[in-house]
Amino acid sequence: MLAGAGAGIAAVAVVTAAIELFARVVPVLSLGVLYVFAVLPIAVVWGTAFAVPVAIASMLAFNFFFLPPVYTLTLADRRNWFALAVYLTTAIVVGHLAARARRGRDEAAQREREAALLADIASELLRGFELDDELESIAKRTAAVLGVSSARIVLGDAGTATRGAPHRLEVEGRLVGTLYVPDDEEPSYEARTRLLPALASLLAVASDRERLAAEALEAEAFRRSDTIKTAVIQAVSHDLRTPLATIEQALDGLEGGGLRLTDTDREELLDAIRIEHTRLKRLVENLLDLSRLQAGAASASLDVWTWEELIGRALDELGASERVAVDGRQDLPPVSVDATQVQRVLVNLLENALGVSPQHESVHVRVSATRKELLFRITDRGPGIPEAERERIFEPFHRIEGGPLRRGAGLGLAIARGFAEANGGRIWVESQPGRGASFVLGLPTVELPVQVTA
Amino acid sequence: MSGERVLVVDDEPQFLRALRTNLRGAGYVVTTATNAEEALAAAGLNPPQAVILDLLLPDGRGTDVCLRLREWSAVPIILVSAVGEEAEKIAALDAGADDYVTKPFAVGELLARLRAVLRRAGAPSEPVLRIGALELDLEKRSVSVRGEPLRLTPHEFDLLRVLASNEGKLLTHRTLLREVWGPAYQRESSYLHVYVSQLRRKLEEDPRRPRYVLTDPGVGYRLVNPNGGV
Repeated sequence: MLAGAGAGIAAVAVVTAAIELFARVVPVLSLGVLYVFAVLPIAVVWGTAFAVPVAIASMLAFNFFFLPPVYTLTLADRRNWFALAVYLTTAIVVGHLAARARRGRDEAAQREREAALLADIASELLRGFELDDELESIAKRTAAVLGVSSARIVLGDAGTATRGAPHRLEVEGRLVGTLYVPDDEEPSYEARTRLLPALASLLAVASDRERLAAEALEAEAFRRSDTIKTAVIQAVSHDLRTPLATIEQALDGLEGGGLRLTDTDREELLDAIRIEHTRLKRLVENLLDLSRLQAGAASASLDVWTWEELIGRALDELGASERVAVDGRQDLPPVSVDATQVQRVLVNLLENALGVSPQHESVHVRVSATRKELLFRITDRGPGIPEAERERIFEPFHRIEGGPLRRGAGLGLAIARGFAEANGGRIWVESQPGRGASFVLGLPTVELPVQVTA
Repeated sequence: MSGERVLVVDDEPQFLRALRTNLRGAGYVVTTATNAEEALAAAGLNPPQAVILDLLLPDGRGTDVCLRLREWSAVPIILVSAVGEEAEKIAALDAGADDYVTKPFAVGELLARLRAVLRRAGAPSEPVLRIGALELDLEKRSVSVRGEPLRLTPHEFDLLRVLASNEGKLLTHRTLLREVWGPAYQRESSYLHVYVSQLRRKLEEDPRRPRYVLTDPGVGYRLVNPNGGV
């Protein structure tokens, strides 16, 4: 305001001084037109509202300083009124035109800024930037384009708890979010009505896209868990049914039914029942272990153990030590683990190895240590494991497609890895297809305090 | 208990062991195989009088074993299937298997099925079939039940003929349609259901509780002697 008035006065003064100079060589009446140069810059910078008073002030100054009688606002020659009126009109019209051109240019620039902002936001959101992460930067750039000092965007229905003057971001009546600007700042009506609906549409598209992506993800997760459930039920029901069918068949035979069985036959049937009973028991134990592991309820009660003790417990449980060859140095460092859980790990790994190896082949266990880990390397004589399966075999209920194994629910390795990790260890597999596989269990070693001899 | 040789094929060692013991106790001579390759080799080396075949084998499907055996042998085959293997079971029956039992099963059931397939395999073919109160003269194409002559349409007669010539054997929908109506009709099982119910109305005392023509739901039909055996 003040700047405009000051500039107006200064402009009139400068032009008046200029006319004073020129008046010595040129008839003064023809110089009135020079006031256009006072009106023009004012019109361009501050608009018509300033240009008109400056035009009037110019004419008054011209009259006062140059038209006889000078230093009065009266005119000796009445014809000069006409000249003044022409100058005034010219100044006002030119000023108005200049102001309008300036406004047009400003507006074009403003539209350009708005369009650039929208294009930027669109490309960011379409490239998959997270809407929530981008919101602050979008708000900041929107504030700049709207010509306010700051802005905040709140998605959805934010209520009224937020400070600032709210501008609703709506698309076809649906509230996408709210733009808050400082209470005492009002963005121009044009910018608001042009920019905000476009911004709202973009935000709506982006948030819809995110919602759909989340829904698709959820549907996928749901489908996957459904597939897993089906696999679990199939695997478990097969593994329950097979031993049950054997037990039923054997019991049926033992109960008679017109069969003539020798004592050896009866012993055979009883033995089959025993073996299948153990198999069922192991399956149930495995299921319980797995559910404990998945519930995170498998807390390890740690104690210090040597590798001989650990492998010994596993071989005792397996009762198949003649098919397992073990070697390792006696001075390997001990580990701090839950012995029962590590026993499960080793038993499951050994069972797997024995299961995939031909009947007459033995399984090798080599124990060694690195600087930080005690390693049990269990090598089988099975068909090996293809590269693509080497992680998946540790998933519960996973069995190699078209693999030779129909037996086992695919729980053993999952449980082994679960317990290994619960004890701070890890399991991985190394294999050359066709030449067997090595499952390696690594357990962190403990530093024993240096023993003080008495 | 004539010491007939039975080949049992199953990849579950303990199940195989229990089954072998029971069959031996019932007087059969038992050979065993744990996969398709072994089964075919054993059957070729020393042809059995009957085969008990697990539907799912580690190196192949029971259906393939049926097909391979049928290339050179008419030996009766009883399938051992589990719940959930229906499609495979029907395929194996279509491929020439004679009957099936579903795991888990009682020894008595298997032995009865085994006796039935062995009896059928050993029976000489005659122009007149007598099954219970049913009498079929294949030469004259005439039928009587409980002494009363029956009037059957040609298709009804052919259906009864195929069923009666395979007394006790489970015939799949596909087999019956092929035998009676020809290969072009193998998938038209609704034909079959209509003809079977017409046949039952003429044949059975109480068509709603048939005693001769029995249904194996979803698989096929079999004609049995209501007075004995399977």
